[in-house]
Amino acid sequence: MSVRELPTRRDLFKLGGLAAAALSLGACASTKPSTGGQGAAATALRVSLASDATTLDPHKQGDLPSMNVLINVFDTLTVRDTSDQLVGGLAERWESKDDKTWRFHLRENVTFHNGEPCDAAAVAYSIERLIDPATQSPIVELRLVTGAKVIDPHTVDLVTKEPDPILPAKLSLFGGVIVPPKYIKEKGDEFFAEHPVGTGPFTFEQWQRDSQITLKANPKYWNGRPSVEQLTFKVMPDPSSSLAALQSGELDVVTGLTPDAAQQLGDAPGFKVVTSPGVRTFFVSLDTEEGPLKDKRVRQALNHALDVDTLIKSVLNGAAERTPTLIPKQAFGFDASVQPFQHDVAKAKSLLAEAGHAGGFSLKLSSSTADKDIAQAISGQLAEVGVKAEVSLLDPATFKGRLVSDNRKALGEMYFVGNSGWTMDASSNLQSFVRHDRRQSRWNNPEADKLIDTEEQSVDPDTRQEAFTALQKLMIEESPFLYLYQASILYAVSDRVQWKTNANGTLAMATAKLAGS
Amino acid sequence: MIGFIVKRVGHTLLVLFCVATVAFFIVRLAGDPVQQMLPPEATIEQERALRASLGFDRPLLDQYVSYMTGLLGLDFGQSVFFHRPAFEVIMERLPLTIDLAVAAMAFTLIVSIPAGIVAAVRRGSATDTSVMASVLVGQSTPAFWVGILLILIFAVNLQWLPASGTGSPAHLVLPAITLGLYSAAMIARLLRSSLIDVLGEDYIRTARAKGLSGFKAVTAHGLRNASLPVVTVVGLEVGSLLGGAILTEQVFSWPGIGRLTVEAITYRDYPLMQATVLFLAAVFVIVNLVVDLSYALLDPRVRLS
Repeated sequence: MSVRELPTRRDLFKLGGLAAAALSLGACASTKPSTGGQGAAATALRVSLASDATTLDPHKQGDLPSMNVLINVFDTLTVRDTSDQLVGGLAERWESKDDKTWRFHLRENVTFHNGEPCDAAAVAYSIERLIDPATQSPIVELRLVTGAKVIDPHTVDLVTKEPDPILPAKLSLFGGVIVPPKYIKEKGDEFFAEHPVGTGPFTFEQWQRDSQITLKANPKYWNGRPSVEQLTFKVMPDPSSSLAALQSGELDVVTGLTPDAAQQLGDAPGFKVVTSPGVRTFFVSLDTEEGPLKDKRVRQALNHALDVDTLIKSVLNGAAERTPTLIPKQAFGFDASVQPFQHDVAKAKSLLAEAGHAGGFSLKLSSSTADKDIAQAISGQLAEVGVKAEVSLLDPATFKGRLVSDNRKALGEMYFVGNSGWTMDASSNLQSFVRHDRRQSRWNNPEADKLIDTEEQSVDPDTRQEAFTALQKLMIEESPFLYLYQASILYAVSDRVQWKTNANGTLAMATAKLAGS
Repeated sequence: MIGFIVKRVGHTLLVLFCVATVAFFIVRLAGDPVQQMLPPEATIEQERALRASLGFDRPLLDQYVSYMTGLLGLDFGQSVFFHRPAFEVIMERLPLTIDLAVAAMAFTLIVSIPAGIVAAVRRGSATDTSVMASVLVGQSTPAFWVGILLILIFAVNLQWLPASGTGSPAHLVLPAITLGLYSAAMIARLLRSSLIDVLGEDYIRTARAKGLSGFKAVTAHGLRNASLPVVTVVGLEVGSLLGGAILTEQVFSWPGIGRLTVEAITYRDYPLMQATVLFLAAVFVIVNLVVDLSYALLDPRVRLS
């Protein structure tokens, strides 16, 4: 590596913006999208991945790039469909037998790509394999599951040590993938990780590391053969290169666009940019245990100081929706009657004065370099009420390391963070940030703790909704966070593609259609 | 000469030992792979259990000893994220990195040698000025900018070449030019100045006086003598090209060692980080060794001192 090779990721993104601007010029010049640089078949769909899958063993990965590929090869017990409803996958229906048992009734006549039957034994094997420490799985959702019991060939019970009301939702991604027992036992873990066999809409064809993964339609898929014959995931780490590839006809779908890139790309002929609602919420965690933020009037004042609508409009080009607290509006538990803070600089100033901070104060606002712009905009808005928030930027990996470290003050008084909550149940949004003993919590409130216990331990939806409503009101009153927004999912698709993602932004391509196919 | 070689090889091994040791300890300062693997909502118990099953809870010295013992048998450990031996992961990426390095070096030499000679011979002329201006541009434009510009022109607008990826010789053209541009500029500049020095020497005048053509005098007498510093730099550039061109590989989605290094660092994958650092160091040190030895062959004064 020579010195010239070392500008930071940030520089790269900055240039990405410049490139995207140039690209839109380029697009005007070349209005005809070619059908594919390498003579792609009419029914071949090519999708970009920002990074390669780490492994194709679904139990040994916990990252979205891997999951996005695997979701096309494997099935989960439950599925979050494109209208965000939890529907049956390999399980047709399920019910809670008692507080600590969930019963799943499996779809009949489903087989793995190698012909092996997908029955209750396969489900039990998959769950046991996932929770076995020897598997070294990074998947954490099934932490309460102690085992799986086969009731009959198409019925299986999952047993938990404590009640887990949202277990069915947790089985709609990572934790719910069912793998073939016989195949793994015969071929071994390592072979399986390179030649995965599932029940999904596509069969595995080829994996060129860090370059592309090719899948083929599964003609015997239980939910109908996909209309796309071949599905290729192309690994493209550089956002501007993947947009260029879209424009030169080498890609059909580019996901994970930044608002900047999406806006500059515009609606050039040949493809369109789609903005789809997402569930990832963003907020600022406040250290309520010491310093000026200990006073709830100060925390309320900072919430009043923020003009979230302007942040969304000017920094994110409108690609987000305001959230009153940490809970996205699609999640179970969201209460639309809870109103977000009003932007009110005068009120913020008077609250600060009441708390004895009329002259303002200084503190640190940490964020990952990926969120630099929004962090700086927040700091700018806080300055208007006299609070000087010095932005401290960390590379994403360091940021995450500090976020999960045992030291809850490792990121300073305030940090900007996003939380995915893909189960679409408010429990996941609050899980690690609220109860005082949780890893990212910096708020000690006995009433909140009690409400968390209620929603986490009850399987009755009404009881849970009541607890969530109370929690949202309490979170507004006590303001242990600065509440911001839920970000939209931005992707670009070529005109020949018909496809929609769900609020989790997963790349399940079974329903994708190509013009002429 | 044998003594010189043995001493040099000994130095090389010592450097690699030190690099391995430093790499082992320094990657552990950057944070923990377990923290990167698990989602933020993982409990402390889950984190501890995963760390223990990966063996990262053992005493540091213990881990160091087993790492160093493994190295003796070329065992670089198991990559945490890929669940495969780190050595295997690197070897898989190596052929593509070599392809790119060779293509970039070919481009570099094809462009820089004629440019350097012309500029030196026509020193002060308009040709020289324009070559030197191009060199300045080549040396001062960053690889990622050149890369994106080339993609725009040749892939998006003209659609002559693929924008990124691998698979055919056509895929190699844009990344090789992007990667080779800086080296080409640097070597052209170096060759020019080195050749200008040499062309002023008495023996060139003698060669001319005995009736050799200008071309022959420059190539046969001038170039050979001017090549010494150039060989050193070309050697080091080969090392740097093989070491992986992080940005070029990133821009063109070229799955080589450079991108692997970035991935290893992003994931804080200790064994893979150690292995890539050691690999990069080994490439540099070995290229250096080869350059030193070839220097000794080219110029006897080196081995005598």
